[in-house]
Amino acid sequence: MRSLIEAHNRVKDFDWEPSYAKKPTRYPTRYRIPAKTKDPFRHLIRDYLSMEEEKDNRQYGALEDALARSNAPAKAERRWMEIMKVALPVVNFGEYAAMKSTGQLVDTIENAELRQGYMAQMLDEVRHVNQEAYLTRYFARHAADPEGFAQGFKFRGTNLYNRAGRAALEGFFVGDPIEGALNLQVVAETAYTNPIFVAMTEIAAANGDQATPSVFLSIQSDEARHMANGYSTLAAVVSNPDNLAFLQADFDRAFWRQHAFLDPFLGAVYDYFQAKRTSSYGEKWNEWIHEDWVGCYIEKLAPFGLKVPRWYGEARERMKWIGHTAGLIGFATWPLQFWRFDPLTDADMEWFERKYPGWYGHYGAFWEEYRKMCDPRAGAVPLSLFQSLPPLCRVCQMPCVFPRPDVSTVRIKEHGGKKHAFCSEACEFIFDEDPQRYLGYDTFYELYDGYDLAEFVRENGLLRADGKTLIAQPSLDDERMWTIDDLAALKIEIKNPLREVGA
Amino acid sequence: MSLEAKAPRDFTYIRPRKRRLSEYEAVTCYTQPDPDVFDKQGWYLRSAEGRTAWRKESTRLRHPHWFDFRDPAGLWQRTYVRLQAEQERSLERAVEDAARAGAFADFEPTWVRELVGAHYRVWSFFEYGLFRCFAQAQRETLSDTLGNVYCFAGFDRVRHAQAIVIYLMDLEGQIEGFQDAGAKERWLGDPVYQPARRMTEELMAVDDWGELAVAVHLVVDPIFGEVGLSEMLRRHGPFHGDAVTPLVVSTAERDRRRNCDWTEELVRMVTAAEVPARDENRRIVGEWVARWTPRALAAAEALAPVHERIPRRLGTFREAVERASAAQAAIVAALEARSTEAA
Ligand SMILES: [Fe+2]
Ligand SMILES: [Fe+2]
Repeated sequence: MRSLIEAHNRVKDFDWEPSYAKKPTRYPTRYRIPAKTKDPFRHLIRDYLSMEEEKDNRQYGALEDALARSNAPAKAERRWMEIMKVALPVVNFGEYAAMKSTGQLVDTIENAELRQGYMAQMLDEVRHVNQEAYLTRYFARHAADPEGFAQGFKFRGTNLYNRAGRAALEGFFVGDPIEGALNLQVVAETAYTNPIFVAMTEIAAANGDQATPSVFLSIQSDEARHMANGYSTLAAVVSNPDNLAFLQADFDRAFWRQHAFLDPFLGAVYDYFQAKRTSSYGEKWNEWIHEDWVGCYIEKLAPFGLKVPRWYGEARERMKWIGHTAGLIGFATWPLQFWRFDPLTDADMEWFERKYPGWYGHYGAFWEEYRKMCDPRAGAVPLSLFQSLPPLCRVCQMPCVFPRPDVSTVRIKEHGGKKHAFCSEACEFIFDEDPQRYLGYDTFYELYDGYDLAEFVRENGLLRADGKTLIAQPSLDDERMWTIDDLAALKIEIKNPLREVGA
Repeated sequence: MSLEAKAPRDFTYIRPRKRRLSEYEAVTCYTQPDPDVFDKQGWYLRSAEGRTAWRKESTRLRHPHWFDFRDPAGLWQRTYVRLQAEQERSLERAVEDAARAGAFADFEPTWVRELVGAHYRVWSFFEYGLFRCFAQAQRETLSDTLGNVYCFAGFDRVRHAQAIVIYLMDLEGQIEGFQDAGAKERWLGDPVYQPARRMTEELMAVDDWGELAVAVHLVVDPIFGEVGLSEMLRRHGPFHGDAVTPLVVSTAERDRRRNCDWTEELVRMVTAAEVPARDENRRIVGEWVARWTPRALAAAEALAPVHERIPRRLGTFREAVERASAAQAAIVAALEARSTEAA
């Protein structure tokens, strides 16, 4: 029998100091990482391959079984299935960004132990990219309404929530590779994969969707290793006290950037798209982020000088409303989206009031009005309930309406002769740290200012196969579906809200 | 026709290479965003140095739509992992069978010590260096279909590196007195391996993913890999009572063929008739081949003293190098011919 410990020692001894040619510094980092630390990855590639192969067989097999037995995807709650149209492309980019992140870590980090973990994670992330794309296609084939699944990654470029998702997840690999690891492994994977890949599967299952749990739980079985990568990376970082000077700021920024998108988004996904209701996102957040991640994980790092992220208190405070605000904005702007919305029922509203006391007082009126605008013959869209579209945050791309439209922390300021909006003090602070990092793109309003809603829909291909019915719909009512003509008749213009406001 | 009847039941945003969208294309294509494709707003984040997520300048090659690339093997993670798991299982079984059959007793002692122990083990450092090259290059490639072949090529390398190490550990358990020792010292200091190490370090310094694939798969593997692995180890093994080492080598050869195939496909793609920059691309590829050929030859030729240590040699070292070199030249010539035809 060969000794596994000895095998590990030998396969980690491939590093050498090059003397003939110097590798360029491709991804500059300010961090100094010790050359030898603990090994987060305790498998030989041979074992890793057979382990992953078996998991793949189980997971892809389960999808085929579900189909053969009962064509389950077609029978899942339609309200729930609709949100998978947007959730899958968002998460998929996270996986893709993670694959790129681990590639630059392999290049940058001169530590053979850590690199072992990054190596396997790189292939894991290809796995996750493929699994989620496969699931998206599976839904295109089998869900009750395939429109939106069939065009999955195409709409990522122009969709409100997908754009914000991309903005947060680019943080995995654009910048200092260690800052990327903080965003990816320490925050996104350690804090947020539990609510995404574990807790969300409870809701999926309760709503008749068996496919998502089999894929997500299989993904999550890789995440324990990625969390270990994050912990080992962090332990290596804090072992050199010189790193602490910038670690806290990078960690603060990483947490806020992930929170600013993920929490409002996940809040809306969980709470506004379950038909058979189970727990709320607020409850899951408390369990996984507050108790588990902050309470156990980050606490353990306190002796090394790492503190709870700077804006954590504010984030926790915001948790009460941001999911509802994101939900409200999503429903209010439904013609801009590529999935369908199911108006809240009285029973839903009771659930909200129970889970989030005070909810009705702030949001109830909107939902009462919304219900009246689902039928195209009513001739109104819920956007008309608002004076203007909200500005979008220069940093996180989220609408500047948080935590709640009536007490929004939006701020507007001039920079480089242009007005910019920020959703919060934190996003403004992050911008001020290094503005050029956030200025290299055209804003949504720069691209679409002056467009009629119908023109936006047409240009972005948000129409069904008949060329006239909208992919997005304000309800699940198949008898009364909105067409491009219904929308065009309303003559609603996309206006850049920053044009009017003074700085 | 009802709305439902017309609804698309498959992805509508990917143009299939063949008649129908393949599983490979469905789970791979357009997972990488691009402002020239669907993401017209551009990149939302820059690094402190001002770079964006992806950059056109990451290669000197130019192509209007990198997303058109298709891996001829059509691999995605599941099929890739299955393929490599099978290869690794076959090695595990080969060693087990050889041990049960007592076949290790037939291994010629000098062969095992000098070729398998001393030479093959050094190869794992070369492979690991290339793993780092491709892991980094996959980060930069300008489409998802390219990113995946680079990622798999990197993984191929580290798999082979580990397979060598595990195999030698198995030999330690099977062959009295056999020891895996001193490989790193040889890699670092033995003149026989210095041109190879120099070449590896120079590859690690290459900052163009197009160049990396052309250099490694069209030049270094066919010359240096063919001489050092195929000629010296695979061909000679059976004549020294060793049927197992050739099997380990053949898994790497299988990977090598696959990587050569997609790199040829990449070259064909950038020199295709409809590509505006095809002439410039062809010139650049030619430049890369010219740059790396002498390096690969030097690395291969330096192995002559190792060849001398093979107890029962099949022909001379010079012949081996010439065979490899001619076969490599034929690969390049065939590509040249096709791309000139296209122009
Ligand atoms: Fe992942
Ligand atoms: Fe923001």
